[in-house]
Amino acid sequence: MSFKDKISFVRQNMRKNKMRLFMTILATAMGCTFLIVLASVAFGLHDTLLQDYMEHDRINEIEVYGTSDPGRDTMHLTNEDINYFESLDHVKTVRRSTTLQQYPLMSIDNYQLATEAKSVYYPAEQEAGFTLTEGRFPEQDNEVIVGYHFASLLAPTNNDNEELYDDYGLLKEAYQYDGPIVGDTFSLEIEKIDQDGAVEIGKFDVIVSGIVEQPKREWFTESTVYISEQLLTDIEAFTETTAGSPYIEYQEGPVSDERTYSDIVIHSTTIQYLQDLTEKLAEENYYVYSVASQVQQMNLLFNIAKAGLIFIGTIAILIASIGIYNTMTMAVTERAGDIGIMKAIGANPKTIKQIFLIESSYIGLLGAFFGTVVAYLLSHVVNWVIPVILESAFDDTIPEGFKFSSIPFVLVLITILICLAVTLISGSQPAKRATQVDVLKAMRREI
Amino acid sequence: MIKIESLSHHFEMGKKGKKTTLPVLKNVSFAVNAGEIVSLVGKSGSGKSTLLNLIGGFIHPNSGIITINGQAVTQFSEADWADFRLNHIGFIFQNFQLIPSMTAFQNVELPLILKGIHDSDRKMKTEETLKRVGLADYHDHYPSELSGGQQQRVGIARALVLDPPLILADEPTGSLDSETEASLLDFILQLNKENGITFLIITHDHEVAQIGNRTIEIHDGELVKGAYAHELQG
Repeated sequence: MSFKDKISFVRQNMRKNKMRLFMTILATAMGCTFLIVLASVAFGLHDTLLQDYMEHDRINEIEVYGTSDPGRDTMHLTNEDINYFESLDHVKTVRRSTTLQQYPLMSIDNYQLATEAKSVYYPAEQEAGFTLTEGRFPEQDNEVIVGYHFASLLAPTNNDNEELYDDYGLLKEAYQYDGPIVGDTFSLEIEKIDQDGAVEIGKFDVIVSGIVEQPKREWFTESTVYISEQLLTDIEAFTETTAGSPYIEYQEGPVSDERTYSDIVIHSTTIQYLQDLTEKLAEENYYVYSVASQVQQMNLLFNIAKAGLIFIGTIAILIASIGIYNTMTMAVTERAGDIGIMKAIGANPKTIKQIFLIESSYIGLLGAFFGTVVAYLLSHVVNWVIPVILESAFDDTIPEGFKFSSIPFVLVLITILICLAVTLISGSQPAKRATQVDVLKAMRREI
Repeated sequence: MIKIESLSHHFEMGKKGKKTTLPVLKNVSFAVNAGEIVSLVGKSGSGKSTLLNLIGGFIHPNSGIITINGQAVTQFSEADWADFRLNHIGFIFQNFQLIPSMTAFQNVELPLILKGIHDSDRKMKTEETLKRVGLADYHDHYPSELSGGQQQRVGIARALVLDPPLILADEPTGSLDSETEASLLDFILQLNKENGITFLIITHDHEVAQIGNRTIEIHDGELVKGAYAHELQG
């Protein structure tokens, strides 16, 4: 008997008692829904936290703060270190930057902003996923790119502070700079304070070639000016200090010809090599930090939580399996006559067993299907309703994108497999009974 | 076709510890040759039904050997019997034993499905067989919508559909009126003549028994007539 015929036979049999079938599928579906929705909370919260790490592009990063190598300046890493990092296996790119040791004043016409500035190596930034919302990456040494909020923070110089800012301390829209920014030439003003406290201003003309993409953290204000390494060297030449510090009195000796970096971030090709790379660099006396170990611990914790919740959910399916057992037992009893006739004309006991196992599996799969559909609907409702409830009850804003419930395909697959296994087990005893139906008794008389 | 040697069977009656043995068949030996119609007659309780149940593999004998179509079937497992019945034996039952939730077509098609015959082939074969028993217009009728004679024809069609060399018939006319009975007996004779199908018919009706080439009479579990010694060589 072919599988297709068995399915067709099963479907024909299942139509005989539709209400009982409906109730059994309903119970199974409820069990599956319970399992999925319960476990989806762990999946949702895990996803949200993981997403939080991922959004900050820190998941495959190793931050290098310096080295404890004897005879070396602890906090200043050089191009030699960069070359070494780049030569390591599974290193995608090495970002390096040096933060200017003062807030330079960026001014254009009657607008100005004192903000952070740092020199970066653009090819590495691009490789690491640093993207622009407008313009292009600098091609000349006097070209810079600016943070997303740079333009909105440029304040007019000829106004009273009281009028410029709203209640939240933000520059009122009416006073914001309305120029294009990209292509504008700004004057970057650097202070140099000598040992007597006399201030000298150095002006460097810079052209904005691009604007950085909006930060993924909405509350984060990004107005940094990204300058070239050559411009940093020019600034250092003016201030006569390392990294453009305005105070010459703290400078120990002349500025070194060798470029040093205050921030180095290594990006691994994939997260799986992150731990190995981190350990290797630590062994080589570098001060390193990566979120990999934190993520691993978090993953372990959530995986345990998921397994626990799936186990609890499985109990609901086990309860539903009692219904399947009952349905299948009644089906065998009701169809004993048919089974007897089939056996009499040559149905193999194995075929009879398979037919009943397929029937219980079919009920299980239908239950799992409808249970999954309902679980998806509930998951959407939960993600929509809970933030509303929390916001109205606790007057607290839930971050956008925060998911309480998430149903990945693997959870659906696990549920289907559990449901299938449970229904097969609950259907196996009735199926065995079906094979043991006595032909003569089933036909109610001896031939 | 069928060879029975020293076949004995008894049933155990009563509860545990107080069981009594009821002998039903006592050292029975006979043979049915290929192409024969053999009628097995006897009174109620004579053991004729038990004998047919043993030949059909529905119960296992206490002792003796049954050989069908050259195969010793006595030690067959339930699965072996199922395959053997499907491939070698057709059954006609007194009360038809049709599956009530299936149409005439589906009932006849069932052995073909069990044998794994391809969809298109089995549709053709089922239609052909229904036509052969004169029920070409009753495809979609459920057993409850058919007369007794029509139901028995469906039963015969189901027995015939796989072209078995042997048909075991249990009181095939027991539930039929005399007119339908005569028609059915003619059909059995026709099948035997045209297709060479061997029939072993159980009946208590001597008129029905007369269609056989030979009649075997059973009384209190012993054969009293028709089982000649030379038949064992057949």
